[in-house]
Amino acid sequence: MDIKIPDSTLRKYLDTQATPEKIAEALTLCGPSVDRLHWLAGDYVYDIEVITNRVDTASAFGIAREAAAILPLFGIKAKLINSPYDIKPSALPERKGAKFPLDVTINNEDLIPHFAAIVLDRLTVKDSPKEISHQLELSGVRPLNNLIDITNYLTLCFGQPVHIFDYDKIIGHKMILRESRSGESMITLDGKTHQLKGGDIVIEDGGGNLIDLCGIMGGKLSEVDERTKRAVLFVQTYNPKKIRRTSLYTQERTLASQIFEKQPDSRLVIPTLIEGVNLLVKLATAHVAGESIEYYFNKSISRTIKLDLKWLDRLIGHEFNFQTTSSILSNLGFAVKKISTTSLEVVVPSWRHHDIAIPEDLAEEIARVYGYFRLESKLPITANLSVATDQLLDWEYQAKKYLSDLGFTEIFNYSLVGKELFEKAFMASDHSITLTNPLSSEFESMRRSLIPSLLMDLERNQGKIDQPIKIFELSNIYSPKEHPILAIATQSLDFRHTKGFIEALLLSLHLSNISFVPVNEEQDPWQKNQTGEIYSDKHFIGIMGAIKPKVKTSFNLNGDVYIANLDFQIVSDLANTNHTYGPVSEYPDMIEDITVQSSLSLGKILQLIKQTSKLITKVFYQTSMKDKHTFTIHFNDSKRNLTQDRVNKIKESLLKTTQKE
Amino acid sequence: MYLEEEIKNLSLETASAETTAQLTKIEAKYLGRNGVLNLKFNQLSKSDKSKLGKDFNAQKQKAVRLIDDRQTKLDRIEENESFDITIPGILPPIGHLHLVTQAIKEITDIFSKIGFIRRRYPEIDTDWYAAEGLNIPKDHPARDDQETFYVSENLVLTPHTSNGQLREMEIMKTPPIKMINIGKTYRRQIDVSHTPMFHQFEGLLIDKDINITHLIGVGDYFVQNYFGIGRRVRLRPHHFQFTEPSFEIDITCGICDGSGKLKDNEKCRLCKSGWVELGGAGMVHPNVLKNGGINSKKYSGFAFGWGVERVLSMKYNLPDIRNIYTTDLRILNQF
Repeated sequence: MDIKIPDSTLRKYLDTQATPEKIAEALTLCGPSVDRLHWLAGDYVYDIEVITNRVDTASAFGIAREAAAILPLFGIKAKLINSPYDIKPSALPERKGAKFPLDVTINNEDLIPHFAAIVLDRLTVKDSPKEISHQLELSGVRPLNNLIDITNYLTLCFGQPVHIFDYDKIIGHKMILRESRSGESMITLDGKTHQLKGGDIVIEDGGGNLIDLCGIMGGKLSEVDERTKRAVLFVQTYNPKKIRRTSLYTQERTLASQIFEKQPDSRLVIPTLIEGVNLLVKLATAHVAGESIEYYFNKSISRTIKLDLKWLDRLIGHEFNFQTTSSILSNLGFAVKKISTTSLEVVVPSWRHHDIAIPEDLAEEIARVYGYFRLESKLPITANLSVATDQLLDWEYQAKKYLSDLGFTEIFNYSLVGKELFEKAFMASDHSITLTNPLSSEFESMRRSLIPSLLMDLERNQGKIDQPIKIFELSNIYSPKEHPILAIATQSLDFRHTKGFIEALLLSLHLSNISFVPVNEEQDPWQKNQTGEIYSDKHFIGIMGAIKPKVKTSFNLNGDVYIANLDFQIVSDLANTNHTYGPVSEYPDMIEDITVQSSLSLGKILQLIKQTSKLITKVFYQTSMKDKHTFTIHFNDSKRNLTQDRVNKIKESLLKTTQKE
Repeated sequence: MYLEEEIKNLSLETASAETTAQLTKIEAKYLGRNGVLNLKFNQLSKSDKSKLGKDFNAQKQKAVRLIDDRQTKLDRIEENESFDITIPGILPPIGHLHLVTQAIKEITDIFSKIGFIRRRYPEIDTDWYAAEGLNIPKDHPARDDQETFYVSENLVLTPHTSNGQLREMEIMKTPPIKMINIGKTYRRQIDVSHTPMFHQFEGLLIDKDINITHLIGVGDYFVQNYFGIGRRVRLRPHHFQFTEPSFEIDITCGICDGSGKLKDNEKCRLCKSGWVELGGAGMVHPNVLKNGGINSKKYSGFAFGWGVERVLSMKYNLPDIRNIYTTDLRILNQF
């Protein structure tokens, strides 16, 4: 929540010589952050970020209280003045003239911890004096008339939202505060009609009309206007959860609702009412026309926290002296009592009840006002030698690095996808993880495959960059379990080269016995005749294959497109660095080119050749002419020089086995 | 003279050798183990061998000299040949790791040097780990800031890596706990400084007597290693439900070194005030320690969760964070 406080408003509650720049700097370091300090129409304005648990700082007075506690630590005198907490009940003007009744019924005490209202007569509606309308404008509020402006001015000064009704528009001068019923509707001041879901805090008048969407915005029916003569000034606190719920679903994120949902101090209700009446008397000729009506259901009991000073020093890493600690706390409004040399008893002020509950909260107050920036910088020596990182994370990086060394570019696509993308790839679009509140249909589900995203990447790059294109992504898929997949795509690169990259990658991770087995079933987006399952020994690790023409057409892709989709969890489980040393033969290889005739697949022929003899150490495929295939074969015996005779014998049996099959 | 004919031939052949390779062949032909000279000599009878041995060695030396002389000449020719070394090399294909991968690697390495173990926890997690267990009750206004994507009422895309805090405590059971959890996170936001998917790195250190000065120390260590020597952090008050106290962490601006002013006394245009915002941190809230099964009377700890894309864009002054997630290879191939 961001608020704007004019310097002149701040200084009504803060007596100090500090410059606005110094105040902004000190607040930012030790209190609420001043995002910007700017000079505007003859005044400085502080743009302040009010953090969610510090609604007590959402006002000029609240900021002044922070500044008065913080500035002394910078060696600057500062004093909090004109505190609303000092306003005495006797400051409320007495009734003059006729008495006008107001009948208030509160059906459920849980809705409204504190309620106050008063009827005012003989009002004059006009423009506010320059001083007030100027401060409102600087704080980002549009001045309307003196009645409305005074309510907004009270919020600016004290952080307590205030509402004013036209008394004569309240039928029967009756207010029933209750929960709304589902289906009720009302029009708010901004002209919007709201269909209520039920359970909202509302006020019904004597005619059965809803006249206030409490804590959010007043109703149109009881709006004050230039003819208003009598009014009800209305100050409350509400059940914060109710306010938040209504404000969220009606999408009325008003300043009042943002304050009420964060529990402002109930003890400000009466002082605000009194200050409001006095301002209306002064600026709108108001005459009090009835007793103030007050209900105080939820008197917060005082809260005391014991603070162990040794513990404080340990948590913060700094030795505080008693003087510093207690003056920081008392400047913030805490009552401090020393109970021993090492412990304090601290009473929490009413405006901090919702955010100060445990000693850690007090530690924060002391350390921040003292200044985190004044603390030392130390490296902890904690070590945990018996824990190791998940190997998966290391293998992921190694695989990515290796692929990039081979000339592939890594891409990060969003995990969030739409149905259309998967339909475009002819892949099932019924994702198991779908969002209830997506940003758009393009980002509505968590993808079950990386393939459609990579096809889209190729489409986007085709024509912009030289072919061949080589890309990859290593990310989780969600089906619904999160599972790491490495997907590699090439365009305008042939089957053998693409397969070679995949084999090289798997070899670099030391996976053993890589084999490719033709797939049995037709499945989009793969083109069955050029697609295989990849195995390491008996473990299935993924699929590599050509993308079907209809899928390529769908993505406007030209040329060969191959994709490998590897289950990286399995790859990581099989990867290893357990190198074993093998002796190198002292004797030279004998190398021969051999052509075999066979109708078997090359993979099978290679396997048969290798099985023929232990003396065959390497086999390289060269070329094929129909069913004649040429291989370069290395023979080696690590114990002695090979003779041509022995090699010829192996060749013979090799030709026999391959032709026999 | 013995072998006169052979030496004459050798002399003619060496003189016509144009390359070292040719000369090596000639050398093998005449002086090899089965070369012309040896074959000739081996045909002699034992007595002839002893008679002509001296001549044979002299002629052999002459042959060696002829070859050496030619080699010297060839070397000189080669050394004086003109060669254009500005001819372009033949490059292997050059690939590119994504900036985010590079940053994660760098961050992992920096933290591993001071003993933080890299972790990865679920991207889709229950409300307990992502919010409620982190001391953020249902209906709490703090949930506003999170812009969370929901899968169901109880299942979310993690809006931060802090879900790893409770999970790490559950796995480790007793301190010391020292992790750096890096993972994908999601928020319902898209603009120049937000992408709906991004990465965070979450540091968590729990042990006896861990205090705020240690967080400052680790922060300083990280920014000096990642952004450069001399950079330092500063803590400002903030509020997060799962830490107490909570901080916003700033680092000194790389341009003006924290002064907010340039050499000519002009205002620094990058940071305006001398500091740039890094992210949130705090001392782990006792309720969170309790939810993770850690005795908060005995142990304390700090946690921080910072954006990978955020530190990347700070380091390289990227104006629009969405560019990190471009799929345009003309851009990705620059890194």
